[in-house]
Amino acid sequence: MAKRGRSIVDEGREIQRAIELIKLGARLQVLETEIHLSRERLLRLYKEIQGKSPPKGMLPFSTDWFMTWQPNIHSSLFMGIYQYLDKSSELEEIDVITKAYQLYLEQAGACGMETVLSLTRAWRLVKFFDAGMLTTTGCKQCGGHFVVHSYDLTDSYVCGLCHIPSRAGKTVASRAGLAAAAIGAS
Amino acid sequence: MNTEQILNEIREANLSYLLLAQNMIRSDREQALYRLGLSEEVAAMVAGLTTAQVLKIAASNMLMCSFRFDDRLVWSLLGSESREKASDVAGVHAAILMSGRNASRAAVAA
Repeated sequence: MAKRGRSIVDEGREIQRAIELIKLGARLQVLETEIHLSRERLLRLYKEIQGKSPPKGMLPFSTDWFMTWQPNIHSSLFMGIYQYLDKSSELEEIDVITKAYQLYLEQAGACGMETVLSLTRAWRLVKFFDAGMLTTTGCKQCGGHFVVHSYDLTDSYVCGLCHIPSRAGKTVASRAGLAAAAIGAS
Repeated sequence: MNTEQILNEIREANLSYLLLAQNMIRSDREQALYRLGLSEEVAAMVAGLTTAQVLKIAASNMLMCSFRFDDRLVWSLLGSESREKASDVAGVHAAILMSGRNASRAAVAA
């Protein structure tokens, strides 16, 4: 992947990019696709920054994950930020993803939500958009833009926030947290 | 609050707003555009102002910053008291709406 005869300045920039991505939690596959450095160097960088070997196994590949209630909110938020940055700047895609992800983390933190969307997921999300598998549509009630399948019928789309499903947000993890809190209180 | 006080407050607000905007644009231009809701051209102009110019502009009788959102829904979501503070659903909803509004405005500007 590494081209010959590239300048040291270019390489320095690539390393800087890779460091930023690894700090944000990117998987090795993301780095291999986006960063023009050899696999060995990426591995060494990863170990140096995270202090452990990168996780093995395939990346999540399903578009359906982005449709479930909580992930959909998070991915819609990220995509809103991403599309804003993408339109207003002329950065390369991977840099837009990095910057948008940082803003997403801030926003999620400000709303007191845990970060459901990992950087790797966010990157996949952008790739799904590039491939035309996912898109955004406006909610007919609030007008906000939400992630949907490209071929969904969206004439009367209402987002998961205007119409919150009854069991929304009641995940195994949140129930375990509540139970622990109840035990702690009693 | 008399006029004198209002003018003083406006100058203070203008000054800190302009200085903050300049710092933000200089440290990370793209994120600053998102946070400030500015177009590339305005951002370039603001970043290029000298200190003397900033002081002069700040001493106006008008505020240099204005409310970004004219959407009733955004304000009511931001102002709503959420039932569970663990996850502020209204806050996220507002954030999605705000980022979307910005994007459409940036598209118009581009």
